[in-house]
Amino acid sequence: TALKIPAPPAPKPQNAITIAVSSRALFNMDREQDIYEQQGMEDYLKYQIQHEIEEENIHVCHPVIQAVEAVNTRLRELYPDSEELFDVVLMTSNHAHVGLRLINSINHYQLFIERFCMTGGNSLIGYLKAYHANLYLSADSMKVREAIEEGIAAATVFSPGKITEVPETQLRVAFDGDAVLFSDESERIYKAHGLDKFFEHEKAHENKPLDHGPLKGFLEALGKLQQKFYAKGQRLDCPIRTYLVTARSAASSGTRALKTLRSWGLETDEALFLAGAPKGPMLEKIRPHIFFDDQMFHVEGAAELGTVAAHVPYGIAQTVQSKTARDVKKDIL
Amino acid sequence: MEDKKNCTGPLMIALQYNDLFDLDSISTSTDTDALPKGRAFTFMKAVQTVNERLVEQNKSDCLLFEVILISKECSEEIKTKIVESVKHYGLEIGKFFFCKKEELINTLQSNKVKLFLSTERDDVYEALHTGIPAALLYDQADDHVFNQLTVIFSGDVIGFSEDSLDGLSEFGFSETQIETIKTAKICMKEFAVLIGQMRRRFGQENSPLCTCVLTSWGSRNVCASALKTLREWGLDVDEAFCLAGAPCSPILAVVKPHILWDGGLLNMS
Repeated sequence: TALKIPAPPAPKPQNAITIAVSSRALFNMDREQDIYEQQGMEDYLKYQIQHEIEEENIHVCHPVIQAVEAVNTRLRELYPDSEELFDVVLMTSNHAHVGLRLINSINHYQLFIERFCMTGGNSLIGYLKAYHANLYLSADSMKVREAIEEGIAAATVFSPGKITEVPETQLRVAFDGDAVLFSDESERIYKAHGLDKFFEHEKAHENKPLDHGPLKGFLEALGKLQQKFYAKGQRLDCPIRTYLVTARSAASSGTRALKTLRSWGLETDEALFLAGAPKGPMLEKIRPHIFFDDQMFHVEGAAELGTVAAHVPYGIAQTVQSKTARDVKKDIL
Repeated sequence: MEDKKNCTGPLMIALQYNDLFDLDSISTSTDTDALPKGRAFTFMKAVQTVNERLVEQNKSDCLLFEVILISKECSEEIKTKIVESVKHYGLEIGKFFFCKKEELINTLQSNKVKLFLSTERDDVYEALHTGIPAALLYDQADDHVFNQLTVIFSGDVIGFSEDSLDGLSEFGFSETQIETIKTAKICMKEFAVLIGQMRRRFGQENSPLCTCVLTSWGSRNVCASALKTLREWGLDVDEAFCLAGAPCSPILAVVKPHILWDGGLLNMS
């Protein structure tokens, strides 16, 4: 007798825009992390189980997740049968012993996280690929680095130094250009030969598209969803807004950036060319839910002024040892 | 010294010989001394690793795995070949049973088999249907590690309430299938209790035994219910996966379990 097993009404992971978040990007587990680092795994797990019914404090990625769910609500209204939605997945190498506490916390904050992997210490890479993760956010820079090396868009999230109110009905994502959306090829020239050579080079190669960087795919995924709103006449009211926030200058090197995006069939809603000025104040005005940069200097600057900033450990700028999220917090607070 | 009266072992697992040896490639095999290795090989090696580590901790530990081999009808020549091959590979097989297909269920019952493992879903389902604890021997890739035995329990079977299980009929499950799933839960419990005892012999890290919960259909709360129930049964699992309808094959390909208790719920196409 052939065993006929029905398949669950399954969303195909490749149709969704999957954002994988780690448990420490989602919840504040500083005290627990201290116990793990100082007293080891057994005490850490004991503590978590003892405090199981206390929900964790919500943390840095919460506004992103709320905004993402707001976009989903709008998408479902316009396209009720579509699987092209955001899907937030909890991806943690934590042991399943912590599972009940994490689930209790997710319930407490009524987060729309239905899928999770708790790998008990094993590497997350295979699971990130199995889920076709479009973006992986973690507080652990080593895991983020590993993911980037495997070609997965990833960033280490840092808490802002102060709470900024961000829009609840529009998801705003800000990207640095070089070594985030684009490769680090131009940054290498700047670092090796200085600013003048950099301007010269960029002007000379204005019409040659830059190679792509680790987060190009994520911008592309956001663009696809934006198109769905435009198709229904909702360009002005689109609940997704993207920003390019670059140290390039509008007068010279900026052109190559814009032309590159155009050659990929992509665009950002706004492009801010700061010509080397600090990014913090500009981001403070924009109020994005998250900002991606490859340089810790900019990440810290943004976090200081209240933006959720995420470090993309890619390219030539990664010569200095990456700070952990807690180091940054200690510096800021 | 472990009190014999309190001894809850051994944990008897039954394998079929066509899972242990690859009978299809006999003609192409160059090794004339032994039958070619089959799909259960990495499982056997992993089980032996667990036993070794258990004995390392406590020489008189009686809660060990014991594997028995069940063969359906075959010639004397094949019977000898099987026994010789087992010896050749150094496999720890406790007993051999050569019986007709109709006698399979009786053989399993009378030998107090705690788990019948097979790569054949229909065999697993049929055994479960008659109340024999049975799980899928997940098809292993050749390069799987030998130093850890991985067991997956179905979070749906354990976590869903009676009512919710009845509600599965709306998804196309037959009455028989639903009854089998309920039976599977009872079977899983006994096995989970024993595995829980075994798991506790080792620490969190560097354990030769890895236990997981996989919730394929249910929500995170079904998964939470499964975690709680397993804990009540004495097993705190190491890994947990909640798929909420997403396909399970990609995840299984990463976890690479040896033993997959799905109760007849998982569609792995």
